[in-house]
Amino acid sequence: MIEVRELRKEYDELVAVDDVSFTAEAGAIFGLLGPNGAGKSTTIGCISGLLTPTAGEVRVLGHDVVTEARSARKQLGIVPQELALYEELSARANLSFWGAAYGMRGPSLKGRVDEVLELVGLRDRAREPVKRFSGGMKRRLNFGCGIVHRPQVLLLDEPTAGVDPQSRVRLLDLVREQAAGGACVLYTTHYMEEAESLCDRLAVIDHGREIAMGTLEELRGMLGERDLLRLVGRFRPEDARAAVLRLDDVEVVSADPETLILALRDASRKLPAVFSALGGTGAEIHQTTLSEPSLETLFIKLTGRELRE
Amino acid sequence: MRFVLTCATKDFRRVLSDPLALLLWLGLPLAIGGMIWLAGGAGSGGQPRAHVLVADLDSTFLSGLLLGAGEQEGAAEILELEPVALEDGRGRIGAGEATALLIIPEGFQQAVLEETPAELLLLTNPAQTVLPAIVEEGLEILVEGTFYLQRVFGDELQLLAAGPPTGQNLFADTIVASLSLSVNQRLQQLESTLLPPVLDVSSPVSEGGEAEGSASAVDFGLLFLPGILFMALLFVAQGMSDDVWEEKMNGTLRRALVSPGPAGGLLGGKLLAGAAVAAFTSVVGLAVAVSLFDVPPPVVPAALVWCTFAGTALLVFFQLAQLFATTQRGATVLTTALVFPLMMVGGSFFPFEVMPDWMAAVGRWTPNGLAVVQLKALLRGDAETVHLARAALGIGVPAALALLISSRRLAGRFAVNS
Repeated sequence: MIEVRELRKEYDELVAVDDVSFTAEAGAIFGLLGPNGAGKSTTIGCISGLLTPTAGEVRVLGHDVVTEARSARKQLGIVPQELALYEELSARANLSFWGAAYGMRGPSLKGRVDEVLELVGLRDRAREPVKRFSGGMKRRLNFGCGIVHRPQVLLLDEPTAGVDPQSRVRLLDLVREQAAGGACVLYTTHYMEEAESLCDRLAVIDHGREIAMGTLEELRGMLGERDLLRLVGRFRPEDARAAVLRLDDVEVVSADPETLILALRDASRKLPAVFSALGGTGAEIHQTTLSEPSLETLFIKLTGRELRE
Repeated sequence: MRFVLTCATKDFRRVLSDPLALLLWLGLPLAIGGMIWLAGGAGSGGQPRAHVLVADLDSTFLSGLLLGAGEQEGAAEILELEPVALEDGRGRIGAGEATALLIIPEGFQQAVLEETPAELLLLTNPAQTVLPAIVEEGLEILVEGTFYLQRVFGDELQLLAAGPPTGQNLFADTIVASLSLSVNQRLQQLESTLLPPVLDVSSPVSEGGEAEGSASAVDFGLLFLPGILFMALLFVAQGMSDDVWEEKMNGTLRRALVSPGPAGGLLGGKLLAGAAVAAFTSVVGLAVAVSLFDVPPPVVPAALVWCTFAGTALLVFFQLAQLFATTQRGATVLTTALVFPLMMVGGSFFPFEVMPDWMAAVGRWTPNGLAVVQLKALLRGDAETVHLARAALGIGVPAALALLISSRRLAGRFAVNS
């Protein structure tokens, strides 16, 4: 398992991660959700031992990643965001190298390499140089290199970034298989759908800080089954805020001269009342977007921003 | 150690997957060396000869003796002497028509016999570098020979230089007999020193009457080949050192650094792979030395070990430079800015023997310069253990220090900074 307590990482003036704490269990997938630059990769860097935390503690299977780095790393597999592959070598040579780097040798290494090639669907192309592979094939091999040594803890840093839908589905299946096999999986992404379909527990982070954590149900509960109504146009923020708050069970997530975001139950039925209230303030509405409760809407509710902004 | 070997195998396979780079590292210096060799006369089947104009203003027995020595079989292979009038000689050397103009001043014989200072003037062609240096060396040997001749046979030379008594065309038989007797007695006195000779010039490939040709071929090869071989090793070092940036940019470095193996092991693997490529490069270079320049095969193993060691050390230095650059492009600029001056002063473009003294003095203290000097000694078969050990320490200790700094840098800021 992975235990992160009050993790903080600073780069000169910049605080990349601030007071992040969570525990990821064996046999489950823990998601780290946040926009680009939120601090997900820095958190992964601290867990893998590549970065030294400024403060706090990180333990992998009980081993402190700073003071017992070697023991912690032995059980760790990492699938980085970039395609960390030797393009001039074959798929088999890549897998063999990463297996050997974790101490595997001889027939057990060869057998495991065959197994992983089968798993990632590259058995037929095993001897070809990786540079001839498509993006999806490289992504799958990148994943294979992270699991070849059968790690008990697997860190996945946006492993599906830029892949075709078919390869994405295959990769997500592979991630589920790892957790089903007993591995503790930490999965970072900014794709809400992936996090919703994959993760048992989640932490939402933004600007280096943890803003929500729990199971998918717990997080949805934070929205109170409310829809999210996003209105784009021209508003006088204070007047608009006052007008909609007079309506029953409406919450203002954010209000600025161009955008108004509201959280409300049964939004489709309440739309005429909302338009009427805003009309009384002289507002002009150009665009309306209604979202059902999801991690996306939760993120907007918590930060006032969309996840991909 | 296993981790080092694993990394080395991987890196070596990556080098082999790009044979074009390997060919360039090897081919470029060999092409340059080949051109120098052909320009030196190898293509026409002969050695380069210096064309020396001689203005003999003394026209005496001793000046004739000096010039005669220059026309003997050994010297004639590298010197082509042409007597000229002084003004004609000055004009032609000014026009760049010869390698050098030697002026034997009036009173040269007198000065030698009376053991007073005499000065030979040598004007060299500034457009040439190697041949004037050969002429200068050759002339110094002739002058030294003349000095010792005077010390041993001074009386007899004075008699001969004075010529036959007035009114006679030839020396009287009694004088000739007396001279013969005197020379014979002097030789008998020196016999214990001269026979067997205290100084012995030997050539390991002297069988079959090839000694003279082989010796000069070895000399020519030794002049250029070690520097050219280290030019190839510098290219290898620069080319392979770039790999830390390749690995950083494609993410494999970070992935490797979170594996249980130490950062030093990762670098160690790169060095081992570099050592294998350096050894391969050296084998090719030394094979050229043996086949074209008659370098004796028994010296090859020691030379191979030396080249591999020094080549690997060069890789360490370049790797350190790469690790302190802030971008990959900056690293390329930095190492290129290092590699060409190192080649220039370290004896790769021009041998130390033809460099200005100050430049040769600086060049001999560069890592590749130190290595070239010892490689020459190894190929000549006269390397001294003390000098070799000193040079090995001079290269090895800074390399070990550089490796230590590189390991720390690799696992620290270098891997993390984007």
